[in-house]
Amino acid sequence: MKGLLKNNICATRSAATVFSVFLIPFGIFAAAVISQSLQIGYVMTATIGFSFNAASIVKNESASKWNRLKLTLPVRRADVIRSLFVNQLIWLSAGILFSGAELGVSWLLHGCMFDQPLDILSLFALGISMSLFMGAVFFPLCYAGGEERSEAFLIISVLCAFVLDFTIISMANDLLEPGTRAIVAGAVLLIACSLLAFALSYPLTVWIYQRKDY
Amino acid sequence: MEYILELEQVTKTFPKSGFTLDSLSFSLPCGAIMGFVGENGAGKTTAIGCILNTLKKDGGTVRLFGREMSDQDTALREGIGVVYDGENFPGYWTAARLSQIMKGLYTRWDDALFQHYTDRFRLPKAQKVKHYSKGMTMKLAIAAALSHHPSLLILDEATSGLDPVMRDEMLDIFLEFVQDERHSILLSSHITEDLEKVADYITFLHNGKILLTASRNELASRYAVMRCRERELPSLDPGDVIALRKRDFQTDVLISDKKAAQRKYRDAVIDPVSIDEMMLLLVKGERV
Repeated sequence: MKGLLKNNICATRSAATVFSVFLIPFGIFAAAVISQSLQIGYVMTATIGFSFNAASIVKNESASKWNRLKLTLPVRRADVIRSLFVNQLIWLSAGILFSGAELGVSWLLHGCMFDQPLDILSLFALGISMSLFMGAVFFPLCYAGGEERSEAFLIISVLCAFVLDFTIISMANDLLEPGTRAIVAGAVLLIACSLLAFALSYPLTVWIYQRKDY
Repeated sequence: MEYILELEQVTKTFPKSGFTLDSLSFSLPCGAIMGFVGENGAGKTTAIGCILNTLKKDGGTVRLFGREMSDQDTALREGIGVVYDGENFPGYWTAARLSQIMKGLYTRWDDALFQHYTDRFRLPKAQKVKHYSKGMTMKLAIAAALSHHPSLLILDEATSGLDPVMRDEMLDIFLEFVQDERHSILLSSHITEDLEKVADYITFLHNGKILLTASRNELASRYAVMRCRERELPSLDPGDVIALRKRDFQTDVLISDKKAAQRKYRDAVIDPVSIDEMMLLLVKGERV
């Protein structure tokens, strides 16, 4: 499991490095300029972008016989899937760190850019839940439909995450009275639903992967 | 005799292609090398997939080290080294990275041994695998397969990308490996010349079926090819003939008992049969 995780991190790192090269100047610009839209854009890009990179390694690995060879190593098929899910969480954390750093610098320079500091919680909840939903949809879909089509599945899963998030938001807006409680409840709901989907997606992906021939 | 690998009635069907691996049965003794021979699409890689559980077999039994291997048997897989034809590892790896990753996967990973093999094969450690030549990627895969002290090596066309000098060196390494009588190798190869040099047993596969499995000594002592004219064919006892192949000026007849044939057909030319010739007769010849 340790070796698989090391491989996944290493596989994601090269794409994530390129992504960071774009993200750092974007972050400096977003922190320097007084713009709420840029802050929102940065947080969403960073949290989703790193997770997107982490999920895309499935495609890179399918180019060699490594997909087949790793099943001959002393690891269970469930370990292979678990390493992908853990990798997804690790890179989501990296995205959160980038976003946090940018928002922190912006706050130091210009103060809070939002109507109230609680909006930042909603923003992070949206970014995190979108990443988790994306992973939850992508992995089972990819192994059921074939890794060679993972690029299409990745786009489908981002769209699904978008639809799921905004369905939850609109339901929360309809059910809850506007106010602080609604913001907190909405954020909690987003995180809880996406975490649940991510957790349920793991056994489903393992079930699919255990039935696959390589 | 103790067996490291036993297959009994293993079947696997691919509904889309219609290919079936049909009741495959053979055993690989400890301390031996088995050559797995067959044309492209004969089912060698499918059989290896069933042995290693990368393919879900439809029926039959595969016993490794005396027991069936499930997905949970990670300890059993510690004892197996595998090399596939082509790129075994992602292109962004380096030999140094491979060692770090394998250290996290195998409890018996031996860094010093891996270093020894990469030095011996002159593999650059910092260069990415995608910049390696085919021969270099195969050498790297063989080095990795040997560096966790396996007892069984399963090599699927592992020598195919190597030049004759390197192939010879690899064959020496394989022979060194089986010096330990607890070690065995299943070597699938198109290069029958390699198998002539190292294999103790040969298994011929064709269209998903085993045509013949025998020890090399048995092949040399029992089987032979008789050169006949077409008009002499009716005089042959069908019980002596396994397969025959008509050519322009003669007919090659594969016989199963060389000594008996020498006694029975005194005027016939009876030559020893090579693995290549045997494969051609079994695959392309008429079965009797």
